[in-house]
Amino acid sequence: MEKVLIAFAAALAIGLPAIATAWAQSRIGAAGAGTLAEKPELTGAIIILVAIPETMVILGFVVAAMILLMI
Amino acid sequence: MIIRMSKIEIIGPKEKLLETLDLIHNRGVFQPDPQLLERIELTEGQRPQALVLDEDELRERTFFSDLHARLSVLIELLPKTTGQTSQLQPLPVMDALNELANQHLAAVRERTEQLAEHRQEVETLQRDLSFWKALEPLTHDLPTGSNLELFGIAIRDAQQLEVLENLLHERTLGRCHVSSTLTADGALVGLIATTGEISSQLREALTSEHVPELSVPEDLANLPIPQRVTALSERLATSLARCRTIELQTQEMSHRWLPIYQRALAWLEERLDLYRATATVFTTQLCFIIQGWMAKTEVPELKSLLTQAFDGCVVLEQQAIFEEEIDQIPVKLCNPGYFAPFEIFSRLLPLPKYSSYDPTPFIGLFFPVLFGMILGDLGYGLVLLVIAVVFTKRFPAHHLASDLGKVLGVAALYACLFGLLYGELFGDLGKVNFGLEPLWFDRGTELVPMIVFSLTVGVVHILLGSLLGVWSHLRRHQPREALIKLVMLLAILLLVLAAVGWFYPHPWLATRPLLLSVAILLPILIAAEGLLAPLEMLKTLGNIISYVRIMAIGLCSVLLAMVANQLGGMTGDILVGTLVAGVLHGFNLLLGVFAPTVHSLRLHYVEFFSKFLDLGGRRFEPWHK
Repeated sequence: MEKVLIAFAAALAIGLPAIATAWAQSRIGAAGAGTLAEKPELTGAIIILVAIPETMVILGFVVAAMILLMI
Repeated sequence: MIIRMSKIEIIGPKEKLLETLDLIHNRGVFQPDPQLLERIELTEGQRPQALVLDEDELRERTFFSDLHARLSVLIELLPKTTGQTSQLQPLPVMDALNELANQHLAAVRERTEQLAEHRQEVETLQRDLSFWKALEPLTHDLPTGSNLELFGIAIRDAQQLEVLENLLHERTLGRCHVSSTLTADGALVGLIATTGEISSQLREALTSEHVPELSVPEDLANLPIPQRVTALSERLATSLARCRTIELQTQEMSHRWLPIYQRALAWLEERLDLYRATATVFTTQLCFIIQGWMAKTEVPELKSLLTQAFDGCVVLEQQAIFEEEIDQIPVKLCNPGYFAPFEIFSRLLPLPKYSSYDPTPFIGLFFPVLFGMILGDLGYGLVLLVIAVVFTKRFPAHHLASDLGKVLGVAALYACLFGLLYGELFGDLGKVNFGLEPLWFDRGTELVPMIVFSLTVGVVHILLGSLLGVWSHLRRHQPREALIKLVMLLAILLLVLAAVGWFYPHPWLATRPLLLSVAILLPILIAAEGLLAPLEMLKTLGNIISYVRIMAIGLCSVLLAMVANQLGGMTGDILVGTLVAGVLHGFNLLLGVFAPTVHSLRLHYVEFFSKFLDLGGRRFEPWHK
């Protein structure tokens, strides 16, 4: 039972930030696509902006890994 | 690095103004800044006035501006010729050119209108001819000399033809004959033969069914179809000949006059640029004054050029830069050899202020290291190195692809280095097949050392950024801000040491005294900066933790590479296995270029640069041809 709870906690730790990241990236991506239509020279900056919310899922991944390793 | 700028004042007699502007314009190293003089506190009598053109100059400017507009239209209308240039000096013949331009513009406009009309006519005739040519063979089946009336119609498709046939037979009680054929370009056309007395009834039926009757010029409507085709062919040939004649006339005019007009237009643009530049000039009763900026290294050359050209009448002086002007100084970035290609990344940011730092050298130093730490695979590094060499050799220097190749090459070298440290060659392929052992640690299995390593890099990077921030405030003579930043840096360092002491206890790292020191520093920070100070500290700690992505993205890359190897091995066939592993490694390599690039840049832009970089500088845009 304990193993199940640990696995569930790890899944939550990565799953919830993944959903949050996906939502944030969808909003930024849509706005970025609109911006690119008018200013194609901002491509690089928009790629960086889209990457910013990935912090959430990356930290979620680290927390999940730590839970599984029982740190 | 940010090029050092000088504040320049150029003074000379009013009559030498245009010549001086022309010389500065040609050199292309000086950026005028009329606001500089406006900032100087002078009494109303002392203040130089903005230059106002006299009546003759205004008349000349209007004339040039008008001629420029007309020449632009004329050049646009004339067909382009290749390779011809003119050495004409336009100024002495400007009046004659003005007259000629008027005549030529009127002639070209008239010819352009005529040509458009004839082309329209040719298009219509070609379409009619194609229809009637297709219908002509159908008339051979009809009885000759009879009182038949013929209609040509355009039909949408075979279904419409069938419907039409039934309808016409019904309306005319079978007293009409419909035949159809395809034109050369595949359109379906039909010929209806009927007697004269029911032709009006038939026309009504066609109109009600929205079937268009084929057009024919009015004067050819009464001709039999074979003669009609001949007449249309002759008329088409005549129209084509007229088009050709007009085109030849225009080409001849273009061949003779276009280079001259292009030369005159370029001269006029330069001249009008000079007039526009006069808006940045101030004058006294006898002199003109221009103030602006230029690179410090260019000053002696321009100074000696002005002295030589005007026998010392026009003087260039460097002036002291006031404290409040520092942020107004235009910024020009210039980076030597190794760092130059990294400008492709610093250009994604707004320009730094003059008193701040050029981000390029920092990106050049740290970006490849972070990239290598994330990718960290000897095999992928070597593949990227080959791609980088191809890019660099194939494209000319300073081309975007060449710069990308150079950046990729340096990053790939670091990926190879870290690949050796982690013992990775296409994931675990090196370890399994060639006995490659990590020189440092295996990040695929040892997560904690990798997290510690990533966070250590974060601490060093962020503390370096904060130190640069302290130095930046000191350079701007802001000792209070520098001191606050230094105290905050110290508090962060103590917190980090306390965390290290907590996880790795050591007699030198007693957690309690370290936390006590932070507790002493915190009220000082709150007193100096308000409640934002603890938030700023938390933000900085968050920035440091953000570096853990180095471990996370790197681990994803290792695991994907290991999956590729295992899937390849599971196929049991060497060819299929190589193919499967190759495709997956290719995909992983693509991700391995994209993800480390984006995240390394993000660590710079968001975490590192926010500690010391002051963005929002004004680009140096020298006045040039």
